[in-house]
Amino acid sequence: MTTGAAYYWKCLYAIWSREVKRSVRESGQLVGAFSRPLLWVIIFGVGLTPYFRTGLRETSFVVPFTYMQYIFPAVVVLNILYPSIQSAVSLIYDRQFGFFREVFASPVPRTAVFFGKLLGGATVATLQGGLVLLLAPYVDVALPVKVLPAVLGVMFLVSLSFTAVGLLIASRLKSFEGFGVFSNALILPLYFLASSVFPLDPSLSVQQQQQVFPPWLVLLVRSNPLTYAIDLLRNFIIDYHEHALTLDVTVVVLLAVVACTLSFREFRR
Amino acid sequence: MLWLHLGITDHAPKLTKMTSNPVQSGPVISAQDVRFTYGDIPALQGVSLEVPRGTFFALLGPNGAGKSTLVSLLCTLLPMQTGQLRVAGLDVRRSSAQVRRALGLVFQEPSLDERLTVLENLDFHGQIYGLSARERRERAAQVLGVVELSGWDNATARILSRGMKRRLEIARGVMHRPELLILDEPTTGLDVQSRHAVWAYLSALRRESGLSLLLTTHQIEEAEDADLVAIIDQGQVLAFGAPAELRAQLGGMLVSLRGVPDDLLGELGARFPEAVIQGSTFRLNVAEPAVVLAWLGSRLSHVEAFSVQPASLEDVFLKLTGRAMREERAAVLTPASSAVDGRGFR
Repeated sequence: MTTGAAYYWKCLYAIWSREVKRSVRESGQLVGAFSRPLLWVIIFGVGLTPYFRTGLRETSFVVPFTYMQYIFPAVVVLNILYPSIQSAVSLIYDRQFGFFREVFASPVPRTAVFFGKLLGGATVATLQGGLVLLLAPYVDVALPVKVLPAVLGVMFLVSLSFTAVGLLIASRLKSFEGFGVFSNALILPLYFLASSVFPLDPSLSVQQQQQVFPPWLVLLVRSNPLTYAIDLLRNFIIDYHEHALTLDVTVVVLLAVVACTLSFREFRR
Repeated sequence: MLWLHLGITDHAPKLTKMTSNPVQSGPVISAQDVRFTYGDIPALQGVSLEVPRGTFFALLGPNGAGKSTLVSLLCTLLPMQTGQLRVAGLDVRRSSAQVRRALGLVFQEPSLDERLTVLENLDFHGQIYGLSARERRERAAQVLGVVELSGWDNATARILSRGMKRRLEIARGVMHRPELLILDEPTTGLDVQSRHAVWAYLSALRRESGLSLLLTTHQIEEAEDADLVAIIDQGQVLAFGAPAELRAQLGGMLVSLRGVPDDLLGELGARFPEAVIQGSTFRLNVAEPAVVLAWLGSRLSHVEAFSVQPASLEDVFLKLTGRAMREERAAVLTPASSAVDGRGFR
């Protein structure tokens, strides 16, 4: 009764569904999930659109989309990052407020706890990213049904990667104190350095980019895995990409594999 | 001088079994020379005892006596180092999953998921203990009935009072029909009323299901109602038996004198060498208190106060350790992090 594959799946499901239920009920998280995309799309998008069109600087490529369309996929990713890293808080909470006492004294296989939390966190993050997609009509983004599997797939992989990172951080953190600052210090640089709110002129080579932009900026943007995740998502959502798609896919998949492996190893410790 | 089957493992338990189920046999807990050390610090130094099924068994001792270590070993939360330990006939080393299935746990610290409802908490527990959806529905209704929380199914656990949370934890602990319910200091932080309620539910559960109970406590009065008590201190079982037997071993009555002048204290000590003397207080367990009072005679007037009362488990503890339990500081250091707290995913 408490052995075998069926039992394992039952435990996985129990932990996964608890994770989803809990965050759906967390009103603070939901307010963030709704307000963040509105803030970015409406205030940033609407405010910066005219400048993006004409350009303060002469760009050497034609911009085939509006600024709102350009940042739209990045806002999807931003809305994934917050709940993913937030899964760290849920883990600290479970440890401090006794839920793990119940789970780890039960016959549940330990790996089911890990995968349940990982998949649960990733599901919540994907759902919150999905909220942004609802804004698509307002920023003139057509989302045909046929691209949705690819879009959701990329979103889920990004969610998985950063939930794994969140769990990794949580296993090292002892308390909630300073977590808010910490998560902003991690999320915002990653986000801003990912060609999210401004493009590095893609018609230029790396050398030329480094002449136009400060070299450190180009390096950071190009070494940030999120750059490729957003690029891939942009390809599916507004049919535009700056990097080779094979590179994008490789980075996104590799990031998920590496993050989950590291997190799992930390958990086995 | 030890009682009952302490250390005598092949000895048939003297206490009559309370369980109504004739299929179950053998002890619910069987420990043989269980030792455990945290690094160099010994926590258990050879614990041997057998508890028959259906028993309400209390593990009584001060903080740091080794109670929690023994419980953690029973729950397979700590690895066995030396000795043999069986729960409901299952070896904790080899069959940890089955042992866990056979145990219900009520922890000292709260362990509910406060964001889930009462029913969701129970349902989650049922799932991870392998109950089917139908069993979960039925058992949840049953156990909520026993602890009088029917009608609270859809309340968020967060809004429950402390006493109600405890009751819910007890309901959850027995939901999967364990053989043994372990209660680790379950009434800590509860008011008197809630405490009584908790005991009433536990008695009801025992009558209903023939469940065995293991209670760890440093509250003597909680252990007085147990069928069997083990008094544990510094990792050793000092006494094991029914509370009445343990009290009887002391001679049945306790004579205590307070504010005894030093010269009289010296004389008393010489006359009654088995007495416990602390500061100016003199305590003696005897079958016949008249002997002491007759010897004192008119000198009784030099004493500030005296009392004669039936011996309690507190006196048993005092007699065995020379210390009062409540004054006790942790004698054996417990590790900074327990098996389920602290860093890591645990």
